[in-house]
Amino acid sequence: MAAQKITIEPVTRIEGHARVTIHLDDNGQVERTYLHVDEFRGVEKFSEGRPYFEMTQITQRICGICPVSHHLAAAKAADAVAGVKPPRPAALLRELLHMGQVVQSHGMHFFHLAAPDLIFGFDADPAQRNVFGIIEANPQLALKAVNLRRYGQQIIERLGGKRVHPNFAVAGGVNAPLSVTDREVMASERETMIGYVQEAIAIAKDLLGADPQTTEHFASFPSSYMGLVDHEGGLQLYDGQIRVKDADGQQVAQFQPSAYKDYVAEHVEPWSFLKFPYYRDLGWPQGTYRVGPLGRLNVADKIGTPLANDELRLFRRLNGGKPVEGSLYYHYARLIEILYALERIGQLLDDPDILSKDVRTHPPTELVGHGVGVIEAPRGTLFHEYWTDEDGLLTRVNLIVATGNNNWAMNTAAGLVAKEYVDGTRMTEGMLNRVEAAIRCYDPCLSCATHALGQMPLQVELVAADGRVLDRVRR
Amino acid sequence: MEMTRTLVIGYGNLDRQDDGVAHAIVGALRRRLGQAPLEEGETGLERLEGQADSILVLQLTPELLDVALRYDQLVFVDAHVQPDADEVHCTPVEAEYASAAFTHHMTPAMFLALLQALHQHRPAGHTVSVRGHSFDFERTLSPDTQASVQPALDKILALLAEAPVNTGRDEICTQEA
Repeated sequence: MAAQKITIEPVTRIEGHARVTIHLDDNGQVERTYLHVDEFRGVEKFSEGRPYFEMTQITQRICGICPVSHHLAAAKAADAVAGVKPPRPAALLRELLHMGQVVQSHGMHFFHLAAPDLIFGFDADPAQRNVFGIIEANPQLALKAVNLRRYGQQIIERLGGKRVHPNFAVAGGVNAPLSVTDREVMASERETMIGYVQEAIAIAKDLLGADPQTTEHFASFPSSYMGLVDHEGGLQLYDGQIRVKDADGQQVAQFQPSAYKDYVAEHVEPWSFLKFPYYRDLGWPQGTYRVGPLGRLNVADKIGTPLANDELRLFRRLNGGKPVEGSLYYHYARLIEILYALERIGQLLDDPDILSKDVRTHPPTELVGHGVGVIEAPRGTLFHEYWTDEDGLLTRVNLIVATGNNNWAMNTAAGLVAKEYVDGTRMTEGMLNRVEAAIRCYDPCLSCATHALGQMPLQVELVAADGRVLDRVRR
Repeated sequence: MEMTRTLVIGYGNLDRQDDGVAHAIVGALRRRLGQAPLEEGETGLERLEGQADSILVLQLTPELLDVALRYDQLVFVDAHVQPDADEVHCTPVEAEYASAAFTHHMTPAMFLALLQALHQHRPAGHTVSVRGHSFDFERTLSPDTQASVQPALDKILALLAEAPVNTGRDEICTQEA
């Protein structure tokens, strides 16, 4: 029997092209699994020559999934390029916008993409194992999910305008203060939303606890972890220092985001346009790490809001205080972060500075000419770095996006699950779904993960029906 | 007889060449209907009051379900990359769940299905999609896609002219562009 490969091609045009290829050996057993990212996107080249302050608009057009994250990372990089520090009220408002994004993005993922697997099981009929199955089984829960997303989205719209992309953060701050009316509207539904998330957390814990064997072992593997923390080591999503912990939970680095290149390097594989970042001091592949909700909760000492911090304590117990390794726990961590975001929205709205009209420090005419902006996007740590000439025109742009940071982890997760569950001699839909579900834990977004025009190798293989490679072109 | 209210939802990325064809089509539609043009970045969501409204978004999202509740007919306008489909592909769309492995995006069929499942609202649905030939980082449509803007507009105008809901649309959408 010749070697075979099974290909899953589920990703749409606009969100980027990717393939999962499971290679089987002569006995039909899984030999190797790849998550291929096939299309590169040239946003970095596209940006060169444009004024640095336009990046808050340009980069959020990379994708429709996390435009706010790019918008804010770009604003922070633009602050650094201009050498300005936004007034405190502006920083609060930017964080408020970010919390709106976290609520809507995480909410969408859990109810739309994660919950169907957890509620119905990996082997359930795909006709049932989807959001409509949830609507049928629990219509009130589905409506709450829509309302949760709507709540996050309306924060974005009230701050950034009802626009295709928010137009809010600018170099040195934001372009408008918060109105009393908008503050009241945002505050009015917050407690209700907290109740929804607590309900979702209870459901998730029940579901994950119902099959502890699968929950513990599904795509579970050791790695390092990365995320922003505040000055007390608490969870941060908007600003702070970057902390790296190793697989044992020992802190191996904590550094200013602007120094990221001293700590983060990128490995290239010929079969993917998406690079593989790793912690430089540990080298490749020992220094590979995970970002996003699981990574963030594994590096943070605490959470600065009471309800989420209580959940973090429970989360910590899952692995006796050591890092939680199972990929399915990303879903639990994601819900804890929604809870945090909702509580943080309350803290921000109650801050005496939140209604201040002091929302921008205007950039000086003489620029620093280089800047880094880092933020915790819903999917993980997002790096923007810009270089400009003396006129503020971009000469170079480097982005490391959250999905890129999790590239190794997604490949590892898919590979482990394929080896454990896929039997090439009798394929089932449930087997393939498990591989997809392993990647789903990381909530990848490939439209912004594929970039750096002309910088990544492309390998084309000509493969005969019996599996022999007849020709190979690398360019 | 009550008049049919139609919402035309154009979606796509203006910065990705032919992916932004819906912007050109919705712009042409608004000019034809004597409606104020949408400035760059405007969605049109704040001015929804006519019998035929139109909006521009990057993608279909659940928030739009509330907006869609007010309409009897939805026309989804987008680019397509199906080599075996017409340059301008117009087809009725039925509520149907399409499995999404990773994506946060929704298809028109799924959008209709959510409307039905969550709100018991069943508007007529159509897609008018134009073949995209190039998706580079630029804003000028490729010549072939640009040439399809007017035929796509004609299809939408024909759908708007039809009333009430659920009569005659299949014929409109099966005509060659």
